Amino acid sequence: MPENQEISLSILKKRWLKFKTLKRGYYSFILLIILYTLSWFLPLLINNRALVLSYEGEMYFPVLSGYHTGAEFGQDVPGEAVYRQLQATWTEADNGNWIIMPVYPYSPYEDITAVGNKMYDPPSNTHWLGTDNTGRDVFARLCYAFNISISFALVLTILNYIIGVIIGGSMGYFGGKFDLFFQRIIEIWSSLPMLFVIIIISSIIRPSFFLLIFIYTIVNWIGMTYLMRAEFYREKSKDYVAAALSMGQTNFKVMFKHILPNSLVPVITYFPFAVVGGISALVGLDYLGFGMPPPTPSWGQMLDVGLQNISKWWMVFAPVSAQFVTLIMVVFIGEAVREAFDPKVYSRLR
Amino acid sequence: MSKNTLVDIKNLSVHFPVHGGVFSKRVATVKAVDGINFSIDRKQIVGMVGESGCGKTTVGRAMINILRHVAPDVEIGGSIEYHFGDEVVDFAALSSREIRKYRSRVQMIFQDPYASLNPRMTVAQIISEPLQLHTNMTKQEQTERVGWLLDKVGLQPEQARRYPHEFSGGQRQRVGIARALATNPDLIICDEPVSALDVSIQAQVINLMMDLQDEFDVSYLFIAHDLSVVEHISDKIAVMYLGDMAEYGNAQEVYHQPRHPYSKALLSAVPLPDPSRKNRKRIVLQGDVPTPLNKPSGCAFRTRCPIAQPACAESKPEFKEQAKDHFVACPIVE
Ligand SMILES: Nc1ncnc2c1ncn2[C@@H]1O[C@H](COP(=O)(O)OP(=O)(O)OP(=O)(O)O)[C@@H](O)[C@H]1O
Ligand code: SF4
Ligand SMILES: [Mg+2]
Repeated sequence: MPENQEISLSILKKRWLKFKTLKRGYYSFILLIILYTLSWFLPLLINNRALVLSYEGEMYFPVLSGYHTGAEFGQDVPGEAVYRQLQATWTEADNGNWIIMPVYPYSPYEDITAVGNKMYDPPSNTHWLGTDNTGRDVFARLCYAFNISISFALVLTILNYIIGVIIGGSMGYFGGKFDLFFQRIIEIWSSLPMLFVIIIISSIIRPSFFLLIFIYTIVNWIGMTYLMRAEFYREKSKDYVAAALSMGQTNFKVMFKHILPNSLVPVITYFPFAVVGGISALVGLDYLGFGMPPPTPSWGQMLDVGLQNISKWWMVFAPVSAQFVTLIMVVFIGEAVREAFDPKVYSRLR
Repeated sequence: MSKNTLVDIKNLSVHFPVHGGVFSKRVATVKAVDGINFSIDRKQIVGMVGESGCGKTTVGRAMINILRHVAPDVEIGGSIEYHFGDEVVDFAALSSREIRKYRSRVQMIFQDPYASLNPRMTVAQIISEPLQLHTNMTKQEQTERVGWLLDKVGLQPEQARRYPHEFSGGQRQRVGIARALATNPDLIICDEPVSALDVSIQAQVINLMMDLQDEFDVSYLFIAHDLSVVEHISDKIAVMYLGDMAEYGNAQEVYHQPRHPYSKALLSAVPLPDPSRKNRKRIVLQGDVPTPLNKPSGCAFRTRCPIAQPACAESKPEFKEQAKDHFVACPIVE
């Protein structure tokens, strides 16, 4: 290899290296990624169904296979087997049957009707963050709600970005009548009282994850659309676009190969803050009771029952601190991303 | 029109409508180019000069048909006929889709070397883009061609993997030149290619462009402010004033014996090292350039013309061949 063949870094790579030096944001980023990845495996980590059990020489995988009655395993309970109890009796009896439970053997859905569960159990070795008003384990619900919150915010933000890039990008790039038409639509749209619209819709139709995403996207697409419109409008008059067109590049290629990579700065720097907005939006709706249908674990719903039982401190403390920590990590990421992308503006603000 | 003609521009006009008010009604028209005629032969260098805002860039961009993307409602009149072999292609009449396959024949070098290279692409990607669009070269052949072109414009082939921000202004402009030459075009429109560069490297880049013109047998439309440079390199000179062409002819003739009063004034302002012309009187024009929004009637230059007459306000002067191959838009000096 020739000596002077130094490695050239694209601007994005440089920014990534800069981001890595901003410890607070970088570690928040790594931690959040790990936690979010783990949260997809929650059924293997936090669950009241056994991972593996061997009963009279036969293997079962209840986590994967689902419902088994207690009778199947010689247990005298109505309905589904209670694996925690099985584990206790089998270990004592030492009869060749064995069972492996998840690390934290409680499910976010099992309430007072399950054997051994009590309402308002304070934090202890078994229930790390106690139980709530229906006897459900707070820690388990907290973790499952984390996954739903982040997923909601990510899907919402990405969907908004896709719509923003396509509609806003076309508005800025093509201009003219197309631009005017969508500008009027956006003006009308943004004058609707959206919170009421959402509340009305979700009191008529029973909301679900995707319906909520859909409703919120209908409200939120405008922000990113305007941002992308401005970006594309500014970039399209630059000479590198004229150069691409003058060599016969198609509009589609010009938009996505040339302009989009140059419009990523606001997209990326805004992303963490959009995620914060998404998380908070879901908490707000859930708190008001217009969000995810019960018994879906959600921070907003936990906050709601917590505040109704304010003397049970753990029921308020848990969702508040989970939200606080998550949001502050995302904000740290956003702050670091912003500094990595635009050190000058950032240091001036500081 | 000789059989050597590469492009023949007849009565080209470019009007930008100006919209205003609640309903975006058309309130005025910017006549950026207002009916000009000229032609460029093969392997010829035509220099185009004129004050800022007189429509030079607009002519250049009209000639490669890229005005519509910033101004979708622009009105383009007249014809821009290219003679590619036996084919005659009118860029003013065809749609951008139909033009696409001829785009490799006419390229452009831009004024600002910082804006004209995509900052997210490496030099190799920038120069090979026209190759991907217009040739069936393999990746390997493209890489070789890029290296060869970089060598031609005085850069190292190893620099192909770098990004534009790692180059100086002069080096970037060399990349722009390499990109324009990539497909062996017939014509390159050079829109003030050196005016954004340091004076010390302007000459280098111009010399490079002249060498390449010779080697690639390409024609240049060389737009510039600096008349002495244009005189030095051009075969022909076109003088523009407020969207009109004032004078068009052989470089030596236009430079040393200008006929149009505007050309005379423009040339008298050029600092000359030439002692034989030291005693020349400097003509200082009165007043400001009118806006192309509201052009004077008749001859557009009459508000500042030292020899204007009442008749000049009445009709637009004919762009007439007053001597062989020497066109002037002023009946008074004929
Ligand atoms: N997209 C547009 N919409 C409206 N007016 C335009 C547009 N593009 C150019 N013009 C106008 O057309 C006229 C000619 O502009 P042009 O850029 O061609 O001038 P120029 O001779 O290249 O000037 P300079 O020497 O400063 O580069 C100017 O008055 C300009 O304001
Ligand atoms: S036509 Fe009249 S105003 Fe125009 S340049 Fe000639 S003399 Fe001057
Ligand atoms: Mg210009």
